[in-house]
Amino acid sequence: MKTATTSKKTRSRRSLSKTDRFTLSAFVGIPTLLQILLLWVPAVVTIFLSFTYWNGIRLSDIRWAGIQNYKTIFLNEPLFYEALKNNGVWLAFFVLVATPLGILLAYQVDRGIKGHAFYESIFYLPVVLSLAVIGIIWNFMLQPGGFVQGLMGLDIGNAISIWGNPDINTWVILGVASWRHIGYIMLLYLSGLKSVDPALKEAAAIDGATEWQIFRKIILPTMKPVNIIIVVITLIESLRAFDLVYIIYGSPTIFPLLNLLVFQNFAGQGLSMKGAAYAVILLVLCIVPIITYLRIVFKEDLK
Amino acid sequence: MSENTNSVSRRSLLKGAAVGGLGLVAGSTIATSSADAATRLKGSTVRWTTRGGGATGDKIAKAVNDAFAKKTGAKVVAQQVNSDDFQNNFAQIMQGSPDDAFGWMAGYRSNHFGEMGLLADLTREINRLKPTLPTSAIKGATSPVSKKPYILPTTYYPWALHYRKSMVKEIGMNPEKIDTWDDFIKLMTLTQKKGLVGYSLGAKGGWEAMGTFDILNARINGYKYHIDLLNGRAKWTDAKTKETFKYFAQLIPFMNENVLDISWDGMRDLLLQKKTGAMMMGSWFANDFKAKSQADYDDLWVVPFPEINPKWGIDSIDAPLDGISVAANGKNVAGGKALAQFWASPEGITEAIKAGDTNIYVSKSFDTSSYDSFNKQKLAVLGSAKNIMFFLDRDARGDFAGPVVGPAIQSFIKKPSDINKILESVQAQWDALPKN
Repeated sequence: MKTATTSKKTRSRRSLSKTDRFTLSAFVGIPTLLQILLLWVPAVVTIFLSFTYWNGIRLSDIRWAGIQNYKTIFLNEPLFYEALKNNGVWLAFFVLVATPLGILLAYQVDRGIKGHAFYESIFYLPVVLSLAVIGIIWNFMLQPGGFVQGLMGLDIGNAISIWGNPDINTWVILGVASWRHIGYIMLLYLSGLKSVDPALKEAAAIDGATEWQIFRKIILPTMKPVNIIIVVITLIESLRAFDLVYIIYGSPTIFPLLNLLVFQNFAGQGLSMKGAAYAVILLVLCIVPIITYLRIVFKEDLK
Repeated sequence: MSENTNSVSRRSLLKGAAVGGLGLVAGSTIATSSADAATRLKGSTVRWTTRGGGATGDKIAKAVNDAFAKKTGAKVVAQQVNSDDFQNNFAQIMQGSPDDAFGWMAGYRSNHFGEMGLLADLTREINRLKPTLPTSAIKGATSPVSKKPYILPTTYYPWALHYRKSMVKEIGMNPEKIDTWDDFIKLMTLTQKKGLVGYSLGAKGGWEAMGTFDILNARINGYKYHIDLLNGRAKWTDAKTKETFKYFAQLIPFMNENVLDISWDGMRDLLLQKKTGAMMMGSWFANDFKAKSQADYDDLWVVPFPEINPKWGIDSIDAPLDGISVAANGKNVAGGKALAQFWASPEGITEAIKAGDTNIYVSKSFDTSSYDSFNKQKLAVLGSAKNIMFFLDRDARGDFAGPVVGPAIQSFIKKPSDINKILESVQAQWDALPKN
């Protein structure tokens, strides 16, 4: 893939005029510069800081810590493993339940089942809300003294513990997050499905393929570019989860997530470079699977 | 509901920060001339942050700030922020474009940031207020490291046992005499029998339950052990610490089942709605009782947490000292200092009390005989102790209290039987902290 584009570039470069070259370098150069400045420089600084002790105020206070921050996280922090578990469950739930549900919905809507326009708008609605707003809405509904508890006739004193109960809160939070994620995936997939040539499906149907066979053998392969996007989005959404939970709890300790721990250790008086170490761990967790996946996919393309 | 408003104010905090930023660009050309204070302040803009407090907080701030503006001719622009958010983002706010003066907390929270150069040195202002301030308050406001004050002490309040007199009467007990451990247990048992919450606790934010831990530890092991423990001179795995959690575990059956779902405002609402027998909390919430109705306020009562170990009696109390700090990076430091001094002066205090502030002021200028009966009782509760603690998250270092002790107490409430494992982890995390 890479070699293919570069050889194409060398071939076409000869015929570029001066203005073209200027425009092109501006279009490529400015975003690259911004990317390096706003993304890679902070990332490198964060990686460096994760090996230091610092409270984030005076530069002269930075002291070398070696791998101590990482050692503390891996050996002494129960919250880290809880967060890892929560992020893992989140990812598994999105991969196994929410994303397939979104795809299924998209498929059904695309087939034009009765009332499909209605379903489409219903499932799409939460997507226009940010996760922070979704957090406010659901917290208002489910917290002690909230709307749902009120409907059940429960006041603050005897309200069911939803956000605080570890057996329940994971599933409620995942349900709320999926509420939005399913619609999002549905929309992405739907736009892809619209571009699948109906003749393909018809031909398969005439050849006697079942609905499931058509989906597996015809739709999925033709939708490959969309599938890649969906896998990556599902991965990233699960690992970077933050806003919804932060809005609900305000503190990162009852339902820890990696991103919440990054924030907690960077915030206020608790500020230490353990936060940077958490950020680096999260970066590795995000980047490694995505790069591996993309490499496999693009390698197949080359063949 | 109240959590919802919290979330909203979290956003308005950001909005406020953005607007503040714009405003500062517009009004940042105020020269700091060497003219005398009054003329220098005239026409300048001083920015003030109220840390929480809702409508009452805004009303009090407006009264004091207006009086200051009238006196000096300066303009005061005030905003209210969510207290927890302001606290959590304090270092960042102070390094950005902070408001000039704001309500803040004594102890580690001001000393640390003062020593780091983010809060202005208020030595001159505290010296001017010296005739009205008791030495203990000045000592409490002064950093033991740099020997400088970074806060002008104004109010303090007891963390103690609160209940409603009418409810105690209803269960057949004398509300003026809840003073032994047995009384306390009886109060909780009888309230619970009525289908209410015996002892209400919140721990959603991670800090609310620290008040209960502080007092239990001080009652059982004494003041010195408690402070030693918070500063690494005693061990969390010690049998003495475990004993404290044994008592803590005794309280759990009396608690609401949703401890981890509610914060301090949920606790307040439980008492306000007559749904709980007793709770351990800072008396600051009394402002909200008064705002609801005078009858609710008159019904509210506070007593020292009962004695457990006769060796210590009731000799310690969490009594956090609050005051006014000035941002070193503010656009109008001189104005901020003048405003802070006004807030801490007898004049400012009078305005605040007129506007409905029920806090107890440290200032000697204030005639305590005019206090209402609840405030007199607060003074009595404060006076019953000879050792003043500032609360766990002000007595211990910041990268330990919030990130380590808070979640440990939450885990303990989730599963009290895990306490040995939890305490081992707390000690391990203390040992792993960078030491200077």
